[in-house]
Amino acid sequence: MNTLEGLWQGFQVAFSLEGIFFVFIGVTIGTLIGMLPGLGPITAIAIMIPMVYGMDPTIAMVLMAGVYYGAVFGGSTSSILLNAPGVSGTVATSFDGYPMAQQGKAGKALAIAAIASFTGGTVSIILLMLFAPTLAQVAVSFGPVEYFALMFMGLVAISSLSDGSAIKALISGVLGFMAVTIGIDAQTGTPRFTFGNSNLLEGVDFLVVALGLFALAEVAFLIKNRNNIGVDKTQNIGSLKLTKQDFKEMTGPLLRHSPLGFILGVLPGAGATIASFISYMTEKRFSKKPEEFGKGSVKGLTAPETSNNAATSGAFVPLLSLGIPGSGTTAIMLGALLVLGINPGPLLFQDHPEVFWGVVASMYVGNVFLLVLNLPLIPYIAKILKIPRPLLISLIIMFCMIGVYSISFNIFDLYLLLAFGLVGYLFRLFAFPAPPFILAFILGGMMEQSLRQALTISNGDFMILVESPIAIGLFILSFLSFAFPFIKTRKIQKV
Amino acid sequence: MNRVLKSAERKISIIFILLAIGYLILSYQLPPYPFVPVDSDFVPKVLGFLLIALSIILFFNSNPKEQEEKKSNISRQDLRILLFVTALIILYISLLEIIGFVIVSMLFIFSCSWMLGYKNFKVNAIVSLLFPVTLFYIFNYLLQINLPSGILPF
Repeated sequence: MNTLEGLWQGFQVAFSLEGIFFVFIGVTIGTLIGMLPGLGPITAIAIMIPMVYGMDPTIAMVLMAGVYYGAVFGGSTSSILLNAPGVSGTVATSFDGYPMAQQGKAGKALAIAAIASFTGGTVSIILLMLFAPTLAQVAVSFGPVEYFALMFMGLVAISSLSDGSAIKALISGVLGFMAVTIGIDAQTGTPRFTFGNSNLLEGVDFLVVALGLFALAEVAFLIKNRNNIGVDKTQNIGSLKLTKQDFKEMTGPLLRHSPLGFILGVLPGAGATIASFISYMTEKRFSKKPEEFGKGSVKGLTAPETSNNAATSGAFVPLLSLGIPGSGTTAIMLGALLVLGINPGPLLFQDHPEVFWGVVASMYVGNVFLLVLNLPLIPYIAKILKIPRPLLISLIIMFCMIGVYSISFNIFDLYLLLAFGLVGYLFRLFAFPAPPFILAFILGGMMEQSLRQALTISNGDFMILVESPIAIGLFILSFLSFAFPFIKTRKIQKV
Repeated sequence: MNRVLKSAERKISIIFILLAIGYLILSYQLPPYPFVPVDSDFVPKVLGFLLIALSIILFFNSNPKEQEEKKSNISRQDLRILLFVTALIILYISLLEIIGFVIVSMLFIFSCSWMLGYKNFKVNAIVSLLFPVTLFYIFNYLLQINLPSGILPF
């Protein structure tokens, strides 16, 4: 199927009544959840999973993609208005967005953010549409060895690129991998680490881990910060209008950071947060007036906002074409897809082309929705920030529990959810990053399978791992990405 | 240098080493399966030793980046509230299938919000009444997912 044909089919899905409805619902829920400080796209998607259970997979995917980029979009609103980023991908947005709001130009800042997000998102969807099918064609020839190498690289990359210490990220990854070894081994049928508990035979459900580690842990921090709701009375957000001069200033960063953000999103481990910071830094470095940055610069706001939305779409490339998530958020998406009975990867284009093209087409629609609907509505939507925190916290907790229960109907899983919530809380308390855990939890099972498949083919000879040139290349890349943070700290120490 | 976090990190690494040892002991006890070149114990053993190695690095790690990290301090009051919410959650879980989703959720939302300092009685009551009922309706009738109705007749 060629691109145009596929896109036509995709738009039929996206423009169906159901499609439009769920894109709208998705971006709205995403925006609302993303806006709440502390709650990010991972929580937003995880909470949605029980809702889409049993839905048509394409529509479900359309909905969740909408939640994802809606959340990134919504995060920028609270960054600008409250200086409290809803999502880590929008931290860089607050550098220039909040000063702008303080100068009484909040409306202008929101408008710039919306246009930048729209441009970044749309350009990057075009690139996604061109790249993903090609990559999938290459990946059709991948065997277990190449897959193992690919997943290995994804894990190492997210550990080395996540915030904070690489060692802690690696530990987090190993613990996630350990968690997924619980249950019956698929190849031999041996029950592992179940302590004779029949509830553990099927392993730990991924939703339990996702909701516990992220949603519940985030709730614990909301509880801690429930009293500092920084909403200023009825803030005057000012005019949304932009001048010609503003547009002129935005053009450069828009053109530069859409492709940059996309590429950073495609890379395993990077994603919206890193993309937005890199964009902000490069824009500042190459600016003729770097002193304006941090004081309400139009360029300084445009760059990270373009980039984080571009990266969000970019992250769909490895997820949909290789079936391998490159970040915590896409790992959750993969988990959701598996729950829906879809195996993303090269075969997705042959077996379920409507899923890929439907999602792509819906992203165009979703981005337009975000722009035309949210822009005028932002002042009203921002009222969600005034919901009393205690009520919000209670509702989220209940939602997490019902989410798990409605999929497993098992009380045991709810206790497990609470346990993972505690683990997630402790992780945050001691600055261990949680995304490597969830990524390893999702990839671990697949990695073990492909490793053992490969070794079965070679009859136990480990040399098979270094016989494929693609795999060798991927292992070298993993090593480089692992070495990168150490070189980076060295350099910083020297300076 | 932040002594507190540092010593906490050492304690954590020791806990992880103990965890890894326990995990390895269980891995070595896994029954062998003769017909595969790589048995189910291979990956767990690798993971166990990897965790030990990483924890040892963490123990001796003096990465300058970490010393900058703020110590996250939890006040005694916060801890009490967290424990209380945890207790409420446990209560919720254990009563969910007995009393039923709607009533347990109503009680949970109301008391949890109240404990967290929300004193607007009216709004709290309305929210804790409306949300569970709406959700129950959506799940049971629209999504066809049967939540436990418990002691309620429907």
